[in-house]
Amino acid sequence: MGRIAIVGVGQTSYEDVEAKRDKAYYEMVFESTRRALDDAGLERGEIDSVVEAAYDLLDGRTISNMYLCTASAGYLKDESRVAEDGTFALAYAYMRIASGHFDTSIVTAHGNREGPAELISNYVFDPFFYRPFGVSYITTLAMQATSYTTKYGVKEESAARVVVKNRENGVNNPYAHLKSKVELEDVLKSRMVSYPLRELEIPPNSSGACSIVLAEENLAKRFTDTPIWIDGVSWSVDTYHIGSKDLSEITPAKIAAKRAYRMAKIDNPAKQFALAEIGDVTAYHEFMLYEALGLCGEGEGEKLVNDGFTSMSGELPVNPSGGALCANPYPATGLASVAEAVLQLRGDAEKRQVPDAETALVHGISIAAGAAAQTNCVIVLRR
Amino acid sequence: MSGKEEYPVVFGKWEIPYIHSAGRFSTQFFNMLKEKRIMGSRCSKCNRVLMPPRSFCEKCFVPVTEWVELPDSGVIQTFTICYEKFTGLPDPPYALATIRLDGADTGLMHLIGGVDLSDLNSALEKIRVGARVRAVWSDERKGSIFDIKYFEPI
Repeated sequence: MGRIAIVGVGQTSYEDVEAKRDKAYYEMVFESTRRALDDAGLERGEIDSVVEAAYDLLDGRTISNMYLCTASAGYLKDESRVAEDGTFALAYAYMRIASGHFDTSIVTAHGNREGPAELISNYVFDPFFYRPFGVSYITTLAMQATSYTTKYGVKEESAARVVVKNRENGVNNPYAHLKSKVELEDVLKSRMVSYPLRELEIPPNSSGACSIVLAEENLAKRFTDTPIWIDGVSWSVDTYHIGSKDLSEITPAKIAAKRAYRMAKIDNPAKQFALAEIGDVTAYHEFMLYEALGLCGEGEGEKLVNDGFTSMSGELPVNPSGGALCANPYPATGLASVAEAVLQLRGDAEKRQVPDAETALVHGISIAAGAAAQTNCVIVLRR
Repeated sequence: MSGKEEYPVVFGKWEIPYIHSAGRFSTQFFNMLKEKRIMGSRCSKCNRVLMPPRSFCEKCFVPVTEWVELPDSGVIQTFTICYEKFTGLPDPPYALATIRLDGADTGLMHLIGGVDLSDLNSALEKIRVGARVRAVWSDERKGSIFDIKYFEPI
């Protein structure tokens, strides 16, 4: 099997649902997909597989990909959908090409906030043991953050520093939903939403779309001088019984990283990656992910932020796009991370460019569709 | 065109009735709650006592058939106190926790009650990871998770 590359990316801006009322959700997907095809220099006829990430309850339509299919360039093609983060759609499209049945694939994902994501996430939970308590993705992530901070004694200031870092990065990302800097005090004084999570430590609700074009090795080299290779991809899913897992770590991210790194021959992630785009679903989860993704030891996450290791000028910038804390169009959040990593590796990231980026780590996570970081996908990209 | 454009909107609301079955296995747990008894299930292979009780072990992937009665007290594994009103979700504040009952290996989700949540810092003195809690039972029990009203710090 040859390598598989990303040969085109397209995004809309990510904004508040009110600001996105000028387009229906499938029109946003058309916009990002048209841009991705233009970026690749391809037309619809040259694509043979189409995979979307979409979540019916967020779209308020069952089998919401019925509308998305044509907007994703899938008219009369072999189209399929995952109800998970966009990184999983990318993994699925990757496998379809790796199978030899397809040569090219479009991957699309979009965030639609026409409905209340927190209430919708309550319907993810089983109706006997969980749903009656009004549990949502935010409260389960909060419970996970409590577990982590209790175990390691993480300072509130450290978590706030993640927000300051990512919001500062977001200022330079034209696609970001939140493009304003915040100070440490702003974060620490923002209102307590669900202890220990404050307003600014939780991602915004964003609408917008992202599309990616994939091709097998020979075609990829013909289509572009700057193919970005998918050299590692893996994912893992934990139990949804949140009292039955170690909430102080993100085990499935750890497992997915191990497998993706093996595939991409990464043995020292903190040194080998030029940048990482990871699912900072809360400020505390950024620390937990540093650990799960092997960037530091257990309980050492806050050190990487406090020492500036993961800031733009640090050794391994994490979330140069600003991450989910600046734009959270779930389930497109992870695909937007892929798009950012591609721009970085091509040298097209403008004001937020990480110099000489050759290898990037991307991590996608279930946000509104999982219980406490249940589902995780890890992708290794190289230029 | 100038100024802010208005677009026609439709107010969508799904009202779809479902009749969800708990299944024969979990029904035994809910029936025992009516008698103020909490039953977990024990995996014969890894010996973990599972709460909520499960009819199969996700790790060993074998059926679980043995029931184990557990006391109505245990410790808080983790928690959150929610102060935000979200559309369609409960009025804040409310405290959610997973509770590892004595003798169980995994935690049951429930509410923490009997604590004034209006001031976070004073609430955190009582609601802590590792704090001991006991079930407060409803007077009227119908075989649902709310046969336990909440767990209270002791």
